[in-house]
Amino acid sequence: MAEARPLFIPIILGTTRQGRMSEQVARFVFGELSKRKNVESELIDIRELSFPTNDAGETIKDPKFSETIARADALLLVVPEYNHGYPGILKHALDTNLKEYIHKAVGICGVSAGPFGGTRVIENLLPVMRELGLVTIFWDGNFSSVQSLFDDSGTLLDAAYVRRLDKFFKELIWMAKVLRHGRENVGIEDE
Amino acid sequence: MAENTKMICPTCGVEMNFHAEKVDYATELAEPDSIDQDLGGIIEEFHTCSECGQTLTRSAD
Repeated sequence: MAEARPLFIPIILGTTRQGRMSEQVARFVFGELSKRKNVESELIDIRELSFPTNDAGETIKDPKFSETIARADALLLVVPEYNHGYPGILKHALDTNLKEYIHKAVGICGVSAGPFGGTRVIENLLPVMRELGLVTIFWDGNFSSVQSLFDDSGTLLDAAYVRRLDKFFKELIWMAKVLRHGRENVGIEDE
Repeated sequence: MAENTKMICPTCGVEMNFHAEKVDYATELAEPDSIDQDLGGIIEEFHTCSECGQTLTRSAD
């Protein structure tokens, strides 16, 4: 097995809006994921990427973003729910890659001001993930009432999220390991 | 096809693992003569190196 190499699981903060509460969630998730053994991570803020809006897809690739995704074993998306959907700018950014995603795991953390923790944005993202060639896991992160989840210093106020994230990470890491093994060792034409 | 022509990792020099195919439908617009008529686009192959983990692609023959 190729597990001597650490897994690389970047986190994508999927909104550029001013006053975004998802940033605190992304920083918390990044901090927790960075504690895992044999896992490397990086926080990708799509606000720091710049894609033209008069074209789309691979023609407007950001080389550094694509290189990071290519190196990844899995992705973790932190995504706010806007009118039951995902931010259009996130979709625009994700669509700039394709081959970089194939047979890699993805986990999604939904964020909402209401009580449902972004469940609807997660459901809306699932078919997009599939079409990109990513493999979704069956644990999600659901951050409800996000405006009350952190204090002014960004410290999480509800410790239950630590345990919930632990379960989420275990599934994501398992899937990342299995898919890395598959990408590197299991041929599509093997019978 | 890929059974006979394994991709070689340009970094490690080892045979890469062919693990996925995807239809690129957009090629019908750019290269209408080269599409697979049965599948409606060009088949892209995905090969990953077991040493360094990098993935490369190529169009299927």
